[in-house]
Order: sequence, then structure tokens, then C-alpha cells
Amino acid sequence: MAIVVAIVSFGFVGYLVFPDVYITAQEQPEVFVTHTGAVVQTTGDVLDPVYTIQEVEFDPEKYLRDFDYGKVSQLEDGTILREYTIIAEDDKIMEIAPGIFYNVWTFNGQVPGPTIRATEGDLVKIYFTNNGSKEHTIHFHGNHPAEMDGIFEIVGSGGGQFTYEFIAGPAGVHPYHCHVMPVEEHIGHGLYGVFIVDPKEGRQQADEMILMLNGFDTDFDGENNLYAANTIPFYYHHHPIQVNTNELIRVYVVNMVGLDPINNFHLHGTLYKYYPTGTDMVPSEFTDMTTFSQSERGILEFEYQDTGRYMFHAHLTEFSEKGWSGVFYAKDSSQLNMEGYAYGS
Amino acid sequence: MEVKRSSNVKTAVSVIIPFVLLAIMIGYVFGPGSELIGYGVVLPEISIEKVEFVDSEIIATVRNTGQISVNIVMADINDRIYPAAIEPDKHLERFESAIVRIPFEWNEGEPYAVGLTVDDGTRFEKQVDVAVQSIKPTVEMISYFAVIGTYVGIIPVLIGLLWFPFISKLSRSKYKFFLALTIGLLLFLGLSTAEEAIEISANNLSDVFNGVLLVATVAVVSFLALNYVGEKLRKRAGASKLAGPVAIALMIAIGIGLHNFGEGLAIGAAIVLGEAALGAFLIVGFALHNTTEGFAIAAPMARTKLMIGKLAAMGMIAGVPAIFGAWVGGFSYSPLAAVIFLAIGTGAIFQVIVSIMRWIQNEEGKLSNSSVLAGIAVGMIIMYITSILI
Repeated sequence: MAIVVAIVSFGFVGYLVFPDVYITAQEQPEVFVTHTGAVVQTTGDVLDPVYTIQEVEFDPEKYLRDFDYGKVSQLEDGTILREYTIIAEDDKIMEIAPGIFYNVWTFNGQVPGPTIRATEGDLVKIYFTNNGSKEHTIHFHGNHPAEMDGIFEIVGSGGGQFTYEFIAGPAGVHPYHCHVMPVEEHIGHGLYGVFIVDPKEGRQQADEMILMLNGFDTDFDGENNLYAANTIPFYYHHHPIQVNTNELIRVYVVNMVGLDPINNFHLHGTLYKYYPTGTDMVPSEFTDMTTFSQSERGILEFEYQDTGRYMFHAHLTEFSEKGWSGVFYAKDSSQLNMEGYAYGS
Repeated sequence: MEVKRSSNVKTAVSVIIPFVLLAIMIGYVFGPGSELIGYGVVLPEISIEKVEFVDSEIIATVRNTGQISVNIVMADINDRIYPAAIEPDKHLERFESAIVRIPFEWNEGEPYAVGLTVDDGTRFEKQVDVAVQSIKPTVEMISYFAVIGTYVGIIPVLIGLLWFPFISKLSRSKYKFFLALTIGLLLFLGLSTAEEAIEISANNLSDVFNGVLLVATVAVVSFLALNYVGEKLRKRAGASKLAGPVAIALMIAIGIGLHNFGEGLAIGAAIVLGEAALGAFLIVGFALHNTTEGFAIAAPMARTKLMIGKLAAMGMIAGVPAIFGAWVGGFSYSPLAAVIFLAIGTGAIFQVIVSIMRWIQNEEGKLSNSSVLAGIAVGMIIMYITSILI
């Protein structure tokens, strides 16, 4: 008995002290690439959210150019009516970075919520249902009556309903988010989205996209562990955003990063015209660097002359190296067509 | 015969039955389908036990010290995410450990924080004050540590043994004083060894190991085991008048040897961790300190005739472990191993103290003698003063 106890305890202690002895290597070595381009081999698993192509539940590529114009109809007086349905939930566990699972609170099952898009002067109706276990609301930035503000009109959990109804305006890009206190918590878990109001006269034809700057404090220590453009850290590194040279690119940038007072945006290879909040048709700046405080947003317009890979990222390098960075891949559309022609014939 | 066998079986059954019942109860309470203990949230916990800096790479040894298995999913340096590899794999069962390799062009002498994130998004961090190239066990380094171990362990102890002729010429009460002085020295060493074990466990071991209780348990077990061995040793050599003092001196040497192993660990680890100034300080301090240990070995043998061979052998037993300690500390530092060795040393030293006290009582009379009490006090004070130098 005593001998058995001794052997077992020695074996256990031995395992604790010299675990390497007990480790048996896998057969097939895996390979990954470092920031400096070195190729490293391992017999174990690769932990690389940056360069290895990873698929997670949420698809930032789809979100990028996905605009919800609502169910459109015309009222008797000629006003366009746009109707949307938004359902809030707060029990979903989502893989927000490869291998990291986080309790996201969602509008229509996703973070960020759907991008609501209307034209200035349209009547917007949002049928909101709260299927969560907590109280939620939707608070739109922009013009609306006080009782449509989503502050005092708390929508109860387990199926509470409310219809937000207002005339879309002013033209620009706005956030919407839950405004139940503690707001930081409700936003931090993912209850936000983009609300675009197009000017009546329209904007110039362009390749349009949304970059929602967000962050996640996955261990609740008051500091964000991950930052991203469109939720998934480093996503546009391994899935570069494809754009055409000599074509106007319009990016709607909204900063919903909580906990950190500011965030910023930096573009490589060219400069952009910047329209703060998108409310004025005349750009305020021609720059490659814009600072955003919490919920600050704007519209960027630029184009690339040359093909290639151009980075965009937070110039707060901490944010960029924790996920908020990506790449535009500019390709020559005319050349591509020519190639296609030559190839086909 | 039959009767005896059946009674044996009965005894065995009566031993086993309570265990079986206990197993059934535990199975019922915790087993599948049980809803009795379903409350509360169990959080994952990992500990980064060691960080090494090699060519263009930082290597962290991580252990799952929580109550549930975890996946390690992300690595960072200074809170910046880096591509990394984990070997053998990212899934860690309870107590399992793995190596995380993070390619990184680190700068010598700068502080770094290594972070690992588990699947629920919790990040764990280990701070390293100074980045220094990890030392590989080359012949050069092995002999370097051996030389340092010799300077710290062997030479000072042997120098201390040179007090032998002085002690052997003392009067009875003065001799008693010096024996008691040895107790004081050892008492101090025992306390400082225990303190160091607790300190290392507090700084480097996860709470799951119950640092203080680990030290206490190992120390008590080593105390009891050495007590048993010492008793045997004395009985075997019982007839000889010399056996008593030699046995005691031998046990003192063994106890001090374990303590010096700890000192070697500290020096080796300090050099590896890049704390060169601390390493140099430790070497000088321990060398001064350890001459008193030679004295402690010499004292009980002073009443016997001079046995240079035995004395030198004991000096080696006490001193050589410092070399092994420096190797272990320098090449494969494991905080858990260090804590266990130091705790064994603590138990050994206290066992030696008890032996000497018993010996004084048997051979020289009462313990509450003024020269004994003064000796213990002076011993501790000497040790305290030399320890300040470290």
C-alpha cells in the first residue's frame, strides 16, 4: 500500500516537474509565417489569427457591402416608407476570433447589426422585438421625436415590442445602439449597427463599403482584448478587400469601440477626402489619418491608381496589432477584362 | 493456517469496504446525470511557469492549473498579438503543460510581458523583468557553474572545517556553547530555506499547488524520513563510541548539503534570469555565510580524535550539492522542483537541530543551560548579520 502510494505520488510529481518527458510529438509538422516573413515549423498546433486563413461564424466579407434598404412602399402623399424588422437577443456564444468564444448580444443575430439604409425624407419604421433575457432598446443617432429616442421607452425582455418611426435625416452616416444602462456593457457585447441616410440628390457612383470599428473586452478587465474592423480581428489581412483601380471607393467608417476614449483610421498608398458624419457634401479634409472618439463617424472617398496591396489600420498601433488592421487589394479592372478576353479567345 | 488466512481476508475486506462505499457516494454525487452540484461557474486557469529567450523566439511553458480543461488559442508579447505555435497541442487537460513558441525579435535587457488567451477570452500574463538569451548546457557553461558551485559550496565549508582544532581544545562549557551555536546557525538556515521555498511558490507557482502547505508537507515528510534513517544509522553503529558524533555530523552535512543545493539553485537561476548583479552578490554572500556551515559540521566531532578523511568527506557532502543546484537552476529551472528541494532541505535541517539537541541532552546534560541558550542566540545573530551581506 505504502509503496503504491509512493510510486503514484512520485509519478505525479515527476509529471508536474518534467512534463516534457510525457509529451509525444505529432507526426506531421505544421508551418506558419511570422510578421517578419520567417517561416516556422512546429510539431504542434499553430496559433495564428493574423495570416492563416480562418473561417468563423460571422462573415465580414458579406457584411462589408451589405445594405438593408428595408421593405419599400409609397404612401399616398408620395413619401417612401421603409420597414425593417430587428430582433435583439443576448444568449448567443459566437467565435469572434479563431478559437475565442464570447457571449455576443445581437441585433438580428449578428454583430454589428444590419446596416439600415434610407434616403433623407423617407419614413422609417423599425419593428423591434426583444427576445433577450435583459431589457434592450434601439437608440438611433439622427433626427427623430423624443419618444422615438430609445432611452425611456425600455423594451422588456422575452418578447417585448416597440416600433420606432421617424423621418430619416439628416443625410450622413450614423450609429444605432442599445441605450439601456449600463450602456457600456450593452454596446460592449455587440448591440450596435450602422444607419446610413443618403442625401436626396444622391452621391456619386462608387464602390461603397462599411467599416465598423469595434472591440471586445473578452475577460472583462476593463481593457479591450481584441479590436477589429467589422468584428473579426485581422480578417481583412487574410481576406483582403478587393477594389478596382481608378474607381471611386466610399467607406462609411463608424467607431463603436468602448472603453478606449479614441480610435483612429489610417490609409496607405493614397489620401482620402473626409466628410465628418457625412452631413456635408464638401469634404473637410484631404488626409490619410482621422481620429474618432466614441461613436464618432464619417465618410471617406478615395481611389487607387496603382494595383497592389494597401494596408489600412489604426495608427494606435496597439489596436492594429490586436486586430484592427486590414488590406485593400487593388486590381486593374481593365486589365482583368483584357486577360479574361485573351484567355477566352 | 486456514483460520489465519480467512482472518487476513476479513481484514482486507474490512479495509476495502469503506473505500468502496466512498467511491459509490462520490460517483453518485459527481457522476453523470447528477444535478446535486451544478451550481456556480468554473473558470479556466493557466499558469505561465517559465519564459525563455532563444534566437528570434520567445518560449513560454504553460500549465493548466484550473479545474477544467482549456484550449490555448492566442499568444501575445506586450499585449500585441503574434503568430505562434503550441506544442504538443493547444488542448490542455488539468495539470497538463505545453510549450508556446512565439517568433519574436526580442532585445537583450528589456522587460517583456508574455500573454496567452484561452478559449473563453481570458488572458493570462507573465512579466519578465530582463530578457536574456537562454543558457544552453554546453561544456563551457557546465564547468562555469561547477566552478561557481565550488566557490560557494565546497571551499567555504572546508575553510569552516579548519575551526576543528580550535573547537577541540575548548573547555566543556565553552564546547557546549559552540555546539549550541551550531543549533542557532541551523535554526536560521532552516527558517531561511523555508522562507525561500514559500517565496518561490508565491511568485512562480499557481495557487492550485497550495504553496505554503506544499512546503509544510514536504518538510514534515522529509523530517520524519531523515529521523527514521538517522535513528537506524545510530543503532547500527551503536557499539562504537564514535558513532554518535560522526552520525550527527553526517546528518548535519546532509542537511546543509540540501540547503546548499537551494543556494546553488538561486545562483544558477539568477544568472540565467540575467540578474548578473544579484548573481554576484549571491556568490559573495553565500560564500561568507557558508564558512559557518563548516563550523557546524566540525563542532559535534570536536570531542573525537581528528579524522581528516571523514571531515573532508562531510565537507564535500555539504558543499557539492551547490554545484548540482547551480546546474539545475541554470539549465532546467522548474519552480516546482525548486520548492520541493528547498522544502526537503527545511525538513532535513530541522531534523538535524533535533538530533543535536538530543545529543547535547544525552552527553552534556541539560538544554536550559546558560551557555546553550547563549550559543543558540549568538548563532542566529551571526547568521543574520552575514545574511545581510547577500
